[in-house]
Amino acid sequence: MRYDLIVIGMGLSGLMSAKTAVDAGAKVLVVGKGTGGLCLFTSGIDVMGALPAGAAMGEALPRWIERHPDHPYAKMGWEGVREALEAFAELFPPPYGFAPEGEGNCLLPTGAGTTRPTYLVPATMRSACRLEKERTLLVGFQGFRDFYAEYAAAGLKCRGENLAIPEIAGRNNSATSLARLLEDLPFREQVAAEIVRRLRGETHVGFPALLGFRNPMEILKDLEDRTGTAIFEIPILPPSVPGMRIFRRFRQHLIARGATFLLGSPVSRILRNGPSCTAVEILHPPVTQVYEADRFVLATGRFMGGGLCADEETMREPLLGLPLSASLPREHWFERSFLEGREHAIHGVGVVTDGDLRPLDGAGRPYAANLWIAGTLLAHQRWIDEKSREGIEIATGYRAARKALAS
Amino acid sequence: MLRLDARYFAGSPFVHLKTEVIIIGGGSTGTGIARDLALREIPSILLEKGDFTSGASGRNHGLLHSGARYVVSDREAARECITENRILKAIAPHCIEATGGFFVSLPEDSLYWRDQFIRSCMDVGIEAEPLQRDDVLQRDPAINPDLVAAVRVPDGAVDPFLLVIENARDAERNGAKCLTHVEVTELLAAGGRIRGVMARDTITGEPHDIEAPFVVNATGAWADHILKLAGLHLGLILSKGSMLITNRRLCRHVINRCRPPGDGDIIVPNETVSILGTTSVTIDDIGRIEVTPPEVSRLIEAASHLIPAVKTTRFIRAYAGVRPLFQFADAADGRAVSREFVLVDHGARDGLSGLITITGGKLITYRLMAEKVCDLLCGKMGVRVDCKTAVTPLPGAERPFDLSGRLKEFGDVPLQGRGETLCDCELIGRGEIEGILRQGRLRNLQDILHRTRLAKGTCQGAFCVYRLLGVLQEQGLTGGGEPHEILKGFLEERWKGVRPILGGLSLREEELIESIYRGLFNL
Repeated sequence: MRYDLIVIGMGLSGLMSAKTAVDAGAKVLVVGKGTGGLCLFTSGIDVMGALPAGAAMGEALPRWIERHPDHPYAKMGWEGVREALEAFAELFPPPYGFAPEGEGNCLLPTGAGTTRPTYLVPATMRSACRLEKERTLLVGFQGFRDFYAEYAAAGLKCRGENLAIPEIAGRNNSATSLARLLEDLPFREQVAAEIVRRLRGETHVGFPALLGFRNPMEILKDLEDRTGTAIFEIPILPPSVPGMRIFRRFRQHLIARGATFLLGSPVSRILRNGPSCTAVEILHPPVTQVYEADRFVLATGRFMGGGLCADEETMREPLLGLPLSASLPREHWFERSFLEGREHAIHGVGVVTDGDLRPLDGAGRPYAANLWIAGTLLAHQRWIDEKSREGIEIATGYRAARKALAS
Repeated sequence: MLRLDARYFAGSPFVHLKTEVIIIGGGSTGTGIARDLALREIPSILLEKGDFTSGASGRNHGLLHSGARYVVSDREAARECITENRILKAIAPHCIEATGGFFVSLPEDSLYWRDQFIRSCMDVGIEAEPLQRDDVLQRDPAINPDLVAAVRVPDGAVDPFLLVIENARDAERNGAKCLTHVEVTELLAAGGRIRGVMARDTITGEPHDIEAPFVVNATGAWADHILKLAGLHLGLILSKGSMLITNRRLCRHVINRCRPPGDGDIIVPNETVSILGTTSVTIDDIGRIEVTPPEVSRLIEAASHLIPAVKTTRFIRAYAGVRPLFQFADAADGRAVSREFVLVDHGARDGLSGLITITGGKLITYRLMAEKVCDLLCGKMGVRVDCKTAVTPLPGAERPFDLSGRLKEFGDVPLQGRGETLCDCELIGRGEIEGILRQGRLRNLQDILHRTRLAKGTCQGAFCVYRLLGVLQEQGLTGGGEPHEILKGFLEERWKGVRPILGGLSLREEELIESIYRGLFNL
């Protein structure tokens, strides 16, 4: 069994590479240890939240890219980013789609009562884009510990209340269990009745992002009909139900298109023969499986994903030992303040590639003839501060697969 | 950091107060003195500029010494330790986990010293059981298998936060008054006698004028700061000791190296984590103590000789405490009670009667130190009342430490009165937090965190402090300002302890936390 492309990593960048490849008719294996940040943090699709408020993405991002010529976005330009975002959005036809609200970023409320900028807004969060404080009630669940409605409401200067639902009282409720419960009509009826009981003239209701996995817009519409309000979801502490929806949709699409999907499979080695990578080795003690392919996309993320690791003093890319963009002494990794002042320098370190996303060796030549890099493993991006995670993952995942298949 | 709503501040607006003894310092010694005096029915007011345990009492190993560590170099100190060890096990069993301790001999360690160690333990009366290599590994498999032998002694782990809070609580129950976040600004004296102090509420700025014929300076490493108010000086040397917390419990026993004490040669199991330490670095400025990355590397290296897994363990925090060391070279004018701690009668030393300083010492001897202070005070007052603290259990003593009981309780699916689990690392439910809020005297988030194990586990509060703030908000306790300010303040405070240890596996946790707070919540 030989694949056209093996994608290592099952976060958003790996999934995007795999989707791009299967859509082009390639025979694809996608292997991953876990699902990356996708199922933990993703709600909307951030592209470049750091742009000035109100700026039109199509105008401001190209200018931003000009000022950041090393950034991964510079390798495909705004046109390339937009093309990739469109390919992503194809996977999510209405009613649960992702679309910009206006020209630029939209500020969405979070579970901490802050707001954050995002570009592609999921349909379930659209009503939150123009939050009217006096007309908004945030609701949580009594006993659900990953979202405190009153706390979030205090930050957003609106009202917050916790719903008392007897069915879930007296136990620890996880986000996933509540999301599943909300798919059931009888449970939703209780929730809607509780919301109505607590409304004091509010027309908008913010709800923790738990509105089911399968048909979130159906659930949202049902709650809207029952309460007579506009409902929106608010991203909360991990895990992220909206992120899981994206993962599920990709998995469904990839499997339907004939990709082989191996979750929970850490790659232990990439085998090489001369200038080319030949296969990946997956260790499932006591069995070791070897999968061969013509091309490889490495999308293993950063420290959480295992794409980077470190000892006490140095950082490295563990699978191939790819050169990193900088070797910083440990005392320069992080700033003295967690939140204020400069960005932590460690986040800018990553794998350096050419314009086609092929990693470079120490001498600046492609490290291998058939290897491409996608996602946050790439150097010269600071997704946390830029608020650019999903944009980078989608754009580089798409481009890496396109470049791989064109070779 | 914002203050909590005033309705949970138990202290009413005292402006003028009068008492018999003013105690400055809310660490183990200060609260120990307050309790000792209260049990002798002598009125006192304790003033602490931060919260209880803000100083060295909250920044140590949490080690219940058996005295074995000092037995070769200082038998007197060792004798004090073992006596206090037994007393604390009797009066504060709920603050103690009697793990036992191993003094481990590695091939390079002198067996001659080990013999001396065992003999000294026997002389002082510390139970010391020599164990063979295999026996040690069976009881504690994490220990370096290269060990030659070990000696078992009655070391243990103690929760210093709980111990101090319980002392304060019992003192107040028996008539003492404890004021936290009140800083002494002046020592009042007239005619060579102390008359009281002027103090200031550090949050409201409200002045306090407290009259008393006796003032005890129990401020540990800050002793000279207080004495400076009266133009006095002890010349304490300040020694910083740094410690590291691991993300899991590495060993079952307290592990020491069986050789003369050095850096990084103690590992203490503490509830779900272990604490490694410590270093000893002389510092000039007590206001600026931080743990440096080279210290972290040194501690890891040293501790890995005792437990090799230290090298591959994730660390969750580094912190440092300051030991006040008294120079006994000029001890002629001080009254050295023991080489471990010092009790100074400033009437005799400096001609300012009524002022007493107690400093130095260890957590394990806090009760003895308090007893000596109170005996001295009683002598000066001309009253004869015996110390009762050695035989009177602390209030919570009927609920001894029970880790497995707690694990079982949290394994139950119905939450009953516990409320939702706020902290998974340390198994703290909403019910416990609401209980703490009802006790009062909480002025800021750190005050709450000093009274619970919430945020002390492997995630260091990354998830549970958000939840705690959610609960506080529901109770209307977050004050009027921006609620994020408290969260941001916590994250910065947490960062001070986390930044020095970031490297290796801890970078994963860091990325998770940063993704949540800087990324998802956009703080």
